[in-house]
Amino acid sequence: MKKKWLGLLLSTAMVTSMLAGCGGKADETSTPASEPTKEPTKEASEEKSTPAAETPSDASADGVTYVGDLEIMHYSTSEESEGNGGSDGFRTVLKMWDEMHPDITLTQNVLANAEYKTQIATLAAANDLPDVFLLQGMNTIDWANQGLVYDLTSDIKSSPYYSDYNEAYFAPFTVGDSIYGYPALTGGTCTVVIYDKAMWKDAGFDTFPTTWADIEKASEYFNGQNITTVAFGNGGKWQANSCFLSTLGNRYTGPDWFMSMVSKGGAAFTDEEFVKALAETQRLFTETSIFNEDFNVVTNEDAREYYISGDAAAFIGGNWDESYIWATLQETDQEKWSNMGFAVLPQPADATKAPKSQNIGLGYAVAINAKLADNPEKLAAAIDLAEYITGPEFASFVAENYALGGLTKVADVDLSGFDPITQDFYNWSYVDTETCEIYDSYITNAVWDVLNTDLQTMMNGDMSPEEVAANAQKAYEANY
Amino acid sequence: MLHSIKPKGRTIFLYLLVPVAMFVFTVFVPLMTAFVYSFFEWKGGPQKTFTGLNNYIALFTDKTFWEAFSHNIYLVIVCIVGQIGIAFILVMMVNSKLVKLKGMHRTFGFFPSTISAVCIGLIWNMIYHNQYGIINWFLKTIGRADLCKVWLNETSMVMLLVAIPLIWQFIGYYMVIILSAISSIDTEVFESAEIDGANGVQKAWYITLPLIKNTMLVCTTLCIAGNMKAFDNIFVMTKGGPGTASMVMAMYGYQVSFSQSNMGYGSCISVGIFVLSLLVIGGSQGVIKFFTREKEA
Repeated sequence: MKKKWLGLLLSTAMVTSMLAGCGGKADETSTPASEPTKEPTKEASEEKSTPAAETPSDASADGVTYVGDLEIMHYSTSEESEGNGGSDGFRTVLKMWDEMHPDITLTQNVLANAEYKTQIATLAAANDLPDVFLLQGMNTIDWANQGLVYDLTSDIKSSPYYSDYNEAYFAPFTVGDSIYGYPALTGGTCTVVIYDKAMWKDAGFDTFPTTWADIEKASEYFNGQNITTVAFGNGGKWQANSCFLSTLGNRYTGPDWFMSMVSKGGAAFTDEEFVKALAETQRLFTETSIFNEDFNVVTNEDAREYYISGDAAAFIGGNWDESYIWATLQETDQEKWSNMGFAVLPQPADATKAPKSQNIGLGYAVAINAKLADNPEKLAAAIDLAEYITGPEFASFVAENYALGGLTKVADVDLSGFDPITQDFYNWSYVDTETCEIYDSYITNAVWDVLNTDLQTMMNGDMSPEEVAANAQKAYEANY
Repeated sequence: MLHSIKPKGRTIFLYLLVPVAMFVFTVFVPLMTAFVYSFFEWKGGPQKTFTGLNNYIALFTDKTFWEAFSHNIYLVIVCIVGQIGIAFILVMMVNSKLVKLKGMHRTFGFFPSTISAVCIGLIWNMIYHNQYGIINWFLKTIGRADLCKVWLNETSMVMLLVAIPLIWQFIGYYMVIILSAISSIDTEVFESAEIDGANGVQKAWYITLPLIKNTMLVCTTLCIAGNMKAFDNIFVMTKGGPGTASMVMAMYGYQVSFSQSNMGYGSCISVGIFVLSLLVIGGSQGVIKFFTREKEA
């Protein structure tokens, strides 16, 4: 009897511990399929305005006559859409299009971003891409050359919204004269310094320093307080490239160098200016005590928690981190929330170019499977969908609710309804700073994966900038 | 009598048909197709270019691949000692007369094997965490804050650190196998040894171990095979980092295939993993047989 009870107790404990484990995991990476869009946490002070969905009778006006299934794969999960304007807008507008086209059964396959990237690459390899999907800039050339994606050039140019498109956003999705996608989601920065104004004021800085030398000085003060000066997370290996080097490199090389890399115009990773940028990156991470010492182990999601909890005075990340920090602090710490400030990366002492630059763009575009060309009606429906979810409905939604911009320009965004932090971030993103390219929106992932892995080693001081550059150049010559 | 309960050949064939077909479809067919793809340059998409042995030539000179291979070998050695060795010691302790609540020990010992590798990776990430982790907390508590480290960022130690969760996870698994083997040993053998005055260590070394030799050989083979394809825990904990310091072969194959979209070379790496695993398993069995034969002679 005793044994029986013990057995029962142990099995209960086991099941509970397993469930607890599973619960923890689910919170981390669950990727549910399409669910109704939840209310966002970040929006203008008034009610969230949703553009009125057109009635089904209007739908026929858009010329879509297709009846049947249409599949779309994307990564705007319901979790991601909470507080993230781009995702929320994408889901909302997609739902509106779906409602407007009752004859079309729209199947959504929604995965979290990391899983999405793996799955879409696998589907591309199997020549089995969904009808409509999100194309990452760096895959454009490979996939276009293999005839996987439909050439949308004439459709984009004849789009009713063409005159309102921000044409610069098409660059990563253009091969020669052909355009392969409608840039999607919102144009957000990949490198923003988010800092706590009050903490930096205490350190003697009324605004965020513009040089790394000043940051080093500030780090003496912060380290004395047992506070990390700047939190950064490169555990996923891509962050150092997307959220640091892409902007810092531009400070050394200027934009022409990178465009020459993209067009194979003669520039190389081994060029002196780029190696200098690598060397400065290595110096900042290995020789100064500016960053959290576990920067190479934790992800950006972990690092931003250091900022939120007050363990760090600043954080470097992308617009997705900003929306998360904004939403979390607004809920948990109003004072810290109101002290949020935004700055560009400080300028290195030996860099001569674009001190106010930050990398911004649209990393993904809505693209269409080339196989749809065999079914003109379905193709027309897919194009209509792509146009709609990147068009004025989407742009108005994100502008009015989140003060964000997308492919389609919205005239006179009224910022007065937004809180001052959102206004600041809008102005910082679109008005007050210069822009530069996001490296990994271009070229090919075969190059970036090699560079990202080596960067992580280099930032530990175990590899020289010259070696990193040489390996990246080798991968570039072999794969691009 | 025996003949009447023995199923017909056709019945056996039908029962086996489904699992064999599944095995062929999920293991054999992918292996064969990977072998074919390994001769192509295939950067994803429908286009493939036949390049003969180019991928294999590249593989032979690929430093990262051989570094990953050395990490797998390291894991194999550490895990044979850690998983099977500790499991054997624990089984001896659990079987000892001094230990009470034997069932509880067995159950708790098996616990980690029931948790998914991803959860284990996350749990150990927290244990190693430099700010909130229990190791650094302990070091600070005993006044040795100078020993605190960003554990998973230590290039020289990271392989050992990712091996520890693997060891912890699989001890229970080997415990169950070894326990079942020991239970088949006639207890009279132990009793007579006790009468002769053998202590616990002597019993384990001179009686138990030789009698469960074949089971230990199976455990070793399972351990080698498991660690040659190690992936999940390490992927969750370090993604092979810092840099390639904890990269293992399967992860490198995954990275090349999916992060770099180089399916042709990725297939070549898979074939390389298969061949190397066979060699290591075959080689280790040869070595074990050689040593045991010598002892018998």
